[in-house]
Amino acid sequence: MDFLAIAPEVALGVGALGVLLVELVWSPRPRWWAVPAAASLAATLLFLTLQWRDVAGAAGDPTLNFSGMLAVDGFAVLGGLLAVLVAGLGLAAAWPLVESLERRGAEFVALVLIAAAGAHLMAAAADLVFVFLSLEVMSISLYVMAGITRRQSADESALKYFLLGSFASAVFLYGVALFFAATGTTSMYEGAAFLSVNFLLEPGILLLGIGLMVVGLGFKVSAAPFHMWAPDVYEGAPGGAVAFIAAVAKLGGFAAMARILAVPVGAYVDDWAPVIGVLAAASMVVGTVLAIAQTDLKRMLAYSSVAHAGYMLAALVAGIDGVDALWFYLATYLFQVIGAFAAASVLSGATGGSTALTDLAGLGSRSPLLAGSIMALMLAMGGIPLTAGFVGKVAVFQAAIDADYLWLVIVGVVSATAGLFFYLRVIVVMYMQAPVRAEAPGTALAPLEPPLPVRFVLLVTVAVTIAFGVFPWALLRAAADALPL
Amino acid sequence: MTFPIITALILLPVAGAVAVAVVPKRRHELLLPLAFTMSLLPLAAAGYILWEYETVSGFQFTERVSWYEPWGVAYHVGIDGISLLLVVLTAFLVPISILASANVTKNLRGYLAAMLLLEAGLLGVFVSLDLLLFFVFWEVMLVPMYFLIGVWGGERRVYAAVKFFLYTAIGSALMLAGILALALLAFDQPTFDYTELLGADLTRTAQFWLFGAFAASFAVKVPIFPLHTWLPDAHVEAPTAGSVLLAGVLLKMGVYGFLRFNLTLFPEATVDLVPLLATLAVIGIIYGAVVAIVQPDLKRLVAYSSVSHLGFVVLGIFALTRQGLQGGVIQSVNHGLTTGALFLLVGMVYERRHTRMIADYGGLARVMPIFAGAFLFMAFASIGLPGLNGFIGEFLVLTGSYLSLPAWAVVAAFGVVLAAVYMLWAYERIFTGPVDNPENEKLVDLDLREKLVLAPLAVLIVFLGVYPKPALDRIEPAVTDILTRIEQTTDYDVPDFGGGAPVAGERGE
Repeated sequence: MDFLAIAPEVALGVGALGVLLVELVWSPRPRWWAVPAAASLAATLLFLTLQWRDVAGAAGDPTLNFSGMLAVDGFAVLGGLLAVLVAGLGLAAAWPLVESLERRGAEFVALVLIAAAGAHLMAAAADLVFVFLSLEVMSISLYVMAGITRRQSADESALKYFLLGSFASAVFLYGVALFFAATGTTSMYEGAAFLSVNFLLEPGILLLGIGLMVVGLGFKVSAAPFHMWAPDVYEGAPGGAVAFIAAVAKLGGFAAMARILAVPVGAYVDDWAPVIGVLAAASMVVGTVLAIAQTDLKRMLAYSSVAHAGYMLAALVAGIDGVDALWFYLATYLFQVIGAFAAASVLSGATGGSTALTDLAGLGSRSPLLAGSIMALMLAMGGIPLTAGFVGKVAVFQAAIDADYLWLVIVGVVSATAGLFFYLRVIVVMYMQAPVRAEAPGTALAPLEPPLPVRFVLLVTVAVTIAFGVFPWALLRAAADALPL
Repeated sequence: MTFPIITALILLPVAGAVAVAVVPKRRHELLLPLAFTMSLLPLAAAGYILWEYETVSGFQFTERVSWYEPWGVAYHVGIDGISLLLVVLTAFLVPISILASANVTKNLRGYLAAMLLLEAGLLGVFVSLDLLLFFVFWEVMLVPMYFLIGVWGGERRVYAAVKFFLYTAIGSALMLAGILALALLAFDQPTFDYTELLGADLTRTAQFWLFGAFAASFAVKVPIFPLHTWLPDAHVEAPTAGSVLLAGVLLKMGVYGFLRFNLTLFPEATVDLVPLLATLAVIGIIYGAVVAIVQPDLKRLVAYSSVSHLGFVVLGIFALTRQGLQGGVIQSVNHGLTTGALFLLVGMVYERRHTRMIADYGGLARVMPIFAGAFLFMAFASIGLPGLNGFIGEFLVLTGSYLSLPAWAVVAAFGVVLAAVYMLWAYERIFTGPVDNPENEKLVDLDLREKLVLAPLAVLIVFLGVYPKPALDRIEPAVTDILTRIEQTTDYDVPDFGGGAPVAGERGE
């Protein structure tokens, strides 16, 4: 038993408790909560780096710990590193919200750390039951965060997220049960071993199990047609919290989905890949078409995240060969989505909900930093070269072409182009339209200065997006090193 | 290792953009001189390349650094006869455009930075020998152009900018799918390297589809009828310097793409599709000219004349003869000079009078004699008066296409006549007769800066018209390479003089 395997979770859990204790015992000003939170994230980062040194690029099956529950391999560590970065940036983006929540803010900080642990465990879980537990650890934290302001729109959003999310978790669990019925185990690696030596005469139960697990996780990553919750939740949830909610759910969901599809049922790739292909195409098309119709920035970003789920699914049609492309896309998209929602939170206010696109008019002169960041992130999401979004799309489409899914690539490039329409519209509004002010027409709006933590988030996310757009090679190698599973 | 002159060529405008971006706010008056000076550096680099260029076949000044082995993607750049002239043209037009932008007041810093970044993208397009790198430049250059139109453009600028971006992006999307498919399917190992991909053995069907995917992007850019509808909007709404670069260089990216990729990578499909593309080219020539005749807006007239002129270029390329290809390349350069100059002239008069409607003018030759002379000179160059550059290009294109596509060439020749109609009629309405609008009485003639903007263009126009040999000599080896390749990989014979002019139907298929 290797305690380094569990050290990241221990660090995150201790950090979460630490924040709550600090609040309870000293009840200092909110900024002091950042100390235990930052310490625990730094410790987690350290442990994960130590793990990465051992496992990166290592061949063969991963080491399993704790009765085959937890895998320590490149895949898990990469997922963990991303979870820590997402938590750090998500916390910074949410910091104005945390301060406005007063004492309850400590709970929010603790929940972020717990959700990050859940996301890492989803990447590391080697047993389907453990995937379910990690999924719940992450999801329940997110439900609470969505409603943490206890305003009406936030309550509605949290309840919707909770009800639909629980339903999806149940569907996933049913899928796990069917997998168990077909193979006699819930362990991914034992299942893979079983399926490699036994030929299922009637694989129907197994295929249904795979299907239900994909549905459950498809909900978490907001892939069409399981995306209905995303726009309402993203719009209604408090502005500061959305960045983290949107990013971490995608991370956990895709990490679990990739390992489940690639390891235990990797041999059945020809059976499930067409389904994934259809989901991918549906997500791209539905997300793009509905995003075009939106007038609210956060709803638009929500539908765009549906489309992005589609691009990431497109990598999975290649089975295990597409996992590195998925990692690259996911890793870079997480930064883009955090940056974009952090920017939206400046406009909506940390606790506020909707953000009309027309509110962005004249932002180019009101706040060059904010407008410039939004522009860079929109161009990245639109897949313009010299941003990581472009490299991600190339990686994903390459994987799909290699798997002979040319039709999917054509759907992908067409919807990516259509997507430019609404990303460009944001830029048009910011730079090419003068602000309209109802109470005093013709007067310029006051300059808008994002709070310091949000400015930090914007600078980091934009820097990462451009850096990995110009020099993506290191991250591509790291993603390839995260394999084999 | 020799000095990486091409990398320097691409990075110098970027450095210029950075320099412009960091000029302190209180030294605002330095922006324009600084940007102009910085834009002279890539011109100097291009001049060096032109000087050192040897008239032989193959790529020169090549640089290759492998980027990511598993994808077969590399930073690979080089210059041959086709890219040489376009690179020089780009580096030449940008300083002129910047000098012509002295009256821009709105956020001059952003404007100049966008201009220089655009230049970097354009230069990158012409020198990339790696398909992914090419695509990166191809797509990145859209962003500054989009801002130039959308922020500094005319009244309907947002509409024009979005239309421009989306048209181009749809074409690019198909090209990206084509590039990926080609790079992955050509060999066992993926490669984006152009010189390696030349060795790919593609089936006729694959060539057909890939030709279509690439052509979708290039045909929008050129533009080939019926994909031209973005062009009048973009040209008219763009600021003067934007129009100059749009017409002068951006359209040539499509021409370049056809020459560089379609003709050499998919020769069989090229030969098969000649009738289609030649027909569309001829339609573009006639249609563009006819529509130009009836335009009430002078800038729109010049924009539609571009559709017509680019039709000649495409016809020349798909004539698949030595003269046609040479004519296509040289005509691209010519069009960049003359149409660029015409857009500058339109911009100069618009700044004085704030209207582009031909009907608002009349008798301008009396109040602005130098301007009138300059306009007439550029109009003659555009029509193709012998002794000026336009003649050389059109003559070669028509000769070249007559060799292989005589019927098309005959129809296209009417385009030259129509060009005289729309240009001279516009001249007549604007410059001759009495000054019947009192507002035109007080117009002032060109000042020194404006003369300096136009002078280099005029010099080159005369030079290329009288002595085009240096340019043609440099294009020649690259053209020969393309045609040799088509002859080797298909059963098409390039017709030439002396071998008995073949009839269109009798080309070996």
